[in-house]
Amino acid sequence: MLVFRKPLPNIERPQMPADVVIVGGGPAGMACALRLSQLIDQHNASKPDSPLSKENIYVLEKAREIGQHCLSGALLDPRSMRELLPGFEKEAPLEVAVTKEAVYFFTQSGKFKFPITPPPLRDHGNYVISLNRFVKWLGGKVEETGITIFTGFAGSELLFDGDKGGDRVTGVRTDDKGVDKQNQPKSNFEPGYNLQAKVVILAEGTRGSLTKQLIARFALDQDRNPQTYGQGIKELWEVPAGRIAPGEVIYTMGWPLTTNEYGGAWIYGGKDNVVSLGFVVGLDYPDPRLDPQRVLQEFKKHPFVARLLDGGKMIRYGAKSLPYGGWWSIPPLAGNGWMILGDSAGFLNSQRLKGIHLAIKSGMLAAETAFEALKKDDFSAASLGDFQRRVESSWIKDELWKVRNFHQGFEHGFWRGMINAGLQQFTGGRGLRNRYPSSAGYQHLKKLAELPADGGDETHLLGPAKGDGKLTFDKLTDLYHSGTKHEEDQPAHLVIHDTDVCNTRCIKEFGSPCQNFCPANVYEMVDDATQTNGKRISLNPSNCVHCKTCDIADPYQIITWVPPEGGGGPNYDGM
Amino acid sequence: MKILVCMKQVPQKDAPLKLNDSGAWIREDVSYEVNEPDAFALEEALRQKEKHSGEVVVITAGPARAQQVLREALAKGADRAIHLEDSAFVGLDAANTARAFAAAIKDETFDLIFTGLQSDDYGYAQTGVVLAELLGWPHATIIMQIEKTDAGIRVKRELEAGYFQFVDMPLPALLTIQSGINKLRYATLIGIKQAKSKPLRKVALAEVQSAIGANMQKIERLYIPQKTKNTEFLEGSPAEVAKKLVEKLRNEVHVL
Repeated sequence: MLVFRKPLPNIERPQMPADVVIVGGGPAGMACALRLSQLIDQHNASKPDSPLSKENIYVLEKAREIGQHCLSGALLDPRSMRELLPGFEKEAPLEVAVTKEAVYFFTQSGKFKFPITPPPLRDHGNYVISLNRFVKWLGGKVEETGITIFTGFAGSELLFDGDKGGDRVTGVRTDDKGVDKQNQPKSNFEPGYNLQAKVVILAEGTRGSLTKQLIARFALDQDRNPQTYGQGIKELWEVPAGRIAPGEVIYTMGWPLTTNEYGGAWIYGGKDNVVSLGFVVGLDYPDPRLDPQRVLQEFKKHPFVARLLDGGKMIRYGAKSLPYGGWWSIPPLAGNGWMILGDSAGFLNSQRLKGIHLAIKSGMLAAETAFEALKKDDFSAASLGDFQRRVESSWIKDELWKVRNFHQGFEHGFWRGMINAGLQQFTGGRGLRNRYPSSAGYQHLKKLAELPADGGDETHLLGPAKGDGKLTFDKLTDLYHSGTKHEEDQPAHLVIHDTDVCNTRCIKEFGSPCQNFCPANVYEMVDDATQTNGKRISLNPSNCVHCKTCDIADPYQIITWVPPEGGGGPNYDGM
Repeated sequence: MKILVCMKQVPQKDAPLKLNDSGAWIREDVSYEVNEPDAFALEEALRQKEKHSGEVVVITAGPARAQQVLREALAKGADRAIHLEDSAFVGLDAANTARAFAAAIKDETFDLIFTGLQSDDYGYAQTGVVLAELLGWPHATIIMQIEKTDAGIRVKRELEAGYFQFVDMPLPALLTIQSGINKLRYATLIGIKQAKSKPLRKVALAEVQSAIGANMQKIERLYIPQKTKNTEFLEGSPAEVAKKLVEKLRNEVHVL
């Protein structure tokens, strides 16, 4: 019997007052904390008689250490960092500046090089970084300011004024610690705190769990395009010297995907012969048997990639979802007592495949808003709504407006997407109309009955990868390299609202795609003779790498990802 | 009771390790964590303090990053911390580490010193024992239980094959603590916040340099074992296979 995690009811919880609580210590949250501290320092220097305190500004981070759950390609566009910390290049852990770039279209064994690199993919002036190391460094900067970062603590629920009906966010409840598999307190039980905050800033990353609660409660997705997502699978490799120049950036389109799926690969040359490579698959593919981890393995078999990696060693693995939807999918950014930043809001340029610089900028703008609110002691929707105005008059909007219809163009296949992208390049992002609609990715999944039994053109993408142990890996081998670890004795944090759907409907209609889209083997259909279809859903929550794909891609939308006990999760050292 | 807990920051158990240029140790850029038995030693000290009142002081030696271990300990309830801060401490052998600790605490008086049973990286299991010798104190190793008595303490030691030994000891004494002696607590938000204002004394290498001699133990070379795998299928009826398996285990693998 599966027991799911939820905050324990009817227990006394410690309270802690706060001015600002930032949920999530990634680039957005850390930039927000750092900017807020700068503004407070400036204020206190110029108005020593009415100082503002940093004492009650907190960052919650579910990872055991700063940066441990941060994963990205990653290329950093330094624009926002130069605003936040002028001269940051001198001290930040930047691997290497981009020196060379190329875009290829892959066929099964051949490739065409784009004669010129399309402007959005020109990366001179950007840096190859490890987001993990970068955020670790940025977090260190935040700690130096005196702001407290609570590592190993997740936000499990939002608090509202009034019992249920209130429309003001009044704080965050942290995760209960020391709860066993049956949701019972253990001898070392520590109840989650009620952190009573004047403003809660949600910087949880893609598909944030508190952000999801907020969006549902206030219908923030109304009049927006549904957010669409991709899933990025990454491997870090050490390769023999001379295979790829430090700072060399390669993008590929085409094989192993067919024209029915959206996505592509990156290969970045770092220092010390470390190569970052990965594949992003749009979570709007039609065949539920497709396995994104398999896609990356098939990609590596392409002669161009296989040669690059030959004799090398895979050292790290990870997966993360990313928001593709763009400008039309971004929810309202602020309300009574709350703001939403970074990937949680959907600040990602899907054409340039970059979001870190936008996350940082959104954090800075939120900090400026929070600072004004602290001075006025006004955290109402009217006061915090300033964040929306700041974003709309910043270069975030300039950048995202130009690509507002980019991803939608690909909803009907690769070639139409390319034509649309070309058209938008000449019309300032407009294309054929100002706003292209989109639909949620999971709605694109087809039922097994509508698909060729043998997989047709997609056969090579379907089902689990076998792996040769050298160039390609099965999922469990890859997963081992994510370093993921959780307290075993705790309730499942993958909350399935109705397991009957899994056991009776999904298995027949879609063939249990959770087993395929999960990059960490969390979901498993196990034999059970008492079930009509002979199988039942079983979970391995300790395998989870916190990518949120299940919450996004499940065709019945009955999975809610909630944070497990704080401190658990992957260890993305160097990723 | 006034208790000192010696703690160490070690590379995380499943971190992918890379050798440094000298080939005798690993590169710095891995994740670190608290040495596992040290976490149990700290928990035990906090429990003793809760029962008998007193003070818990934590000490570590290592570069700036090692301060994390102390901060976690302070957040869980330790009263103050001592940090022997220098990357040179990483390369000390057990005797020199013990000498450095002894020098750093020479002006303090403790009733008990706890260390973890051994470190997860070097695995010497000597630092605590040598420290007891330097202080002229009795010590006991692999401790699974501690009770205060009128004359001092009674401890339970883990022996092999499920046997235990109970020992009565006078105070002051040094104990090396086995993992699993208790259940670890979680740090709380308020604990983490309060930890920021708890005293943390830094000790520079120069202050203890005179106590340290040349290392008696030295790592000559470190290497990552080559993985080899050899799979053999035994064929036949279950009974035959079982017989062949027993033969192999007895004559080739020598485990029976």
